[in-house]
Amino acid sequence: MKALNAILHVIEYDFRNFFKYRWFIIALLAMNLADLFISAVVFTQMTRGIVDYFTFFAPGLAVIGLFASAFMIGREINMEVRREVHHYLLSLPMARTELAIGRVLAGGLRGMLYMTPLLITNFILLGLPTAPQLFIILLTLFLLAIGISGVSISIAVSTTSFEKFVTARGVVYYMFFFCSSVFYPITMITPTLEAKGLAPLATFAQINPLTNGSDLIRSFLLGTPAFSSLMLLDVAIFSVIFALCATFAYAKILMRQ
Amino acid sequence: MGLKKLWLVIERDLRMFMQYKFMLIMRGIWFVSQVALFGLVVNKMVEVAAKDVGINYFQYYVAGVTIITLYSTSMFIGYDIFEEAEHGVFEYLLTLPVSRRELVLGRSIGGGLRSFVYIGPLLVVVLALLGILNPLNFLVALASLFLFAFGVSGMSITIAVAMKSGDKYDILIGVLDALIVRLSTTMYPSVYLQEAMPSYATIAKFNPLTYASDLFRWGTGVEGTIQISPLIGVLALFIFFFSFTFVGVLFYERRLEGGSWQ
Repeated sequence: MKALNAILHVIEYDFRNFFKYRWFIIALLAMNLADLFISAVVFTQMTRGIVDYFTFFAPGLAVIGLFASAFMIGREINMEVRREVHHYLLSLPMARTELAIGRVLAGGLRGMLYMTPLLITNFILLGLPTAPQLFIILLTLFLLAIGISGVSISIAVSTTSFEKFVTARGVVYYMFFFCSSVFYPITMITPTLEAKGLAPLATFAQINPLTNGSDLIRSFLLGTPAFSSLMLLDVAIFSVIFALCATFAYAKILMRQ
Repeated sequence: MGLKKLWLVIERDLRMFMQYKFMLIMRGIWFVSQVALFGLVVNKMVEVAAKDVGINYFQYYVAGVTIITLYSTSMFIGYDIFEEAEHGVFEYLLTLPVSRRELVLGRSIGGGLRSFVYIGPLLVVVLALLGILNPLNFLVALASLFLFAFGVSGMSITIAVAMKSGDKYDILIGVLDALIVRLSTTMYPSVYLQEAMPSYATIAKFNPLTYASDLFRWGTGVEGTIQISPLIGVLALFIFFFSFTFVGVLFYERRLEGGSWQ
């Protein structure tokens, strides 16, 4: 019970920090909605006969929003490491593991909070899923958010240089975004990249949790691709690996200081 | 107006730009992933539509991404000015033996010039992909891009100087970025903007990014893309440049007096 309270306090601390970025979040939301209501609308005209791009992209957008907001925790943690805020955090009456778990969970929950209006937009535009489907969608997205938060924290604690963090973040961000089915169907990615000698990227696109997360929502809301439990399994494995990595790396960096 | 002093201001902004080296690297990574991943796959997806309007979408998109990069790096100057106002560097700048006009004009030119320094290497890669069919057209397009970069830089300065709250500045720039890029022909031909929503196409007609990207494509010989006469394109960019550089300069100059930026 004491451990749970401590974790809840850490989550509350991170949520308060999240709302400090409210202007940035509004700008991000505007950009996401512009992607849907401008770019996707135009691309729908350009992809007629191949895919209904607007409905295809809407679930991808929810995943993009989730990714971007869950990733923000890394920036804060990197700043804390650089400014040595961890001395204050270590003085708090809680175990280091509790602190680390709280940070990972908070990053994921913030992602879920940001993504909610985008997911509701999906339901309005594409229709409602059944209750079990909704449960699976939320579970998958929660696991995805925790995994993303874990990736972000792992990168953040691996360097004290903001510049190196920004560069690593850029590489990870764009690899996850553009090598996934968020923007285009996986059936387009694989042959195109393989034809250009980029087969490893095509493989990465298939196992990318963003691919599986967005395809899972599509499978329930659009009926295609067909739902497979492997989608959930892929996201769950990603989540467990990176949540553990981040927890240990964060706890270790606190002890090292 | 002393050219030497003007150059000193420009040089300072060029040096300051190098402070953003990792941000610039991130922009470079964005550019490469846009071209090598997004551009390639979307090219496949819109193959039929691109054929209908007689374009090679990959080339079309590469040229568009170049203009988006030029736009976003030209906007950086606004952040510098905002930071300076917040950290009291304005006061230091005002003590320098440089007239207000030299200072302000230098910043506007420096803002545009440094974005060209940045996109220089990217431009070489882009030209290797696109080629140059007509060198004269290319030179006209390049000159127009200078006007565009200085104009964007002036626009960024005007917005930064007009805002007193960092939050409002961030959100305005974010929303502006979201709309100005998407409501232009950087990513898609105007015919599809028109089909999707006529109002989008109307807005795109007044968007400087539309003229810059169409002229750049015309200059590099990307086929079937220019919807307007190149002369009108150059004229539109000149008006954009003139409005924001000189109006922006005057606005900035006035705001400098009496500490009204605080």
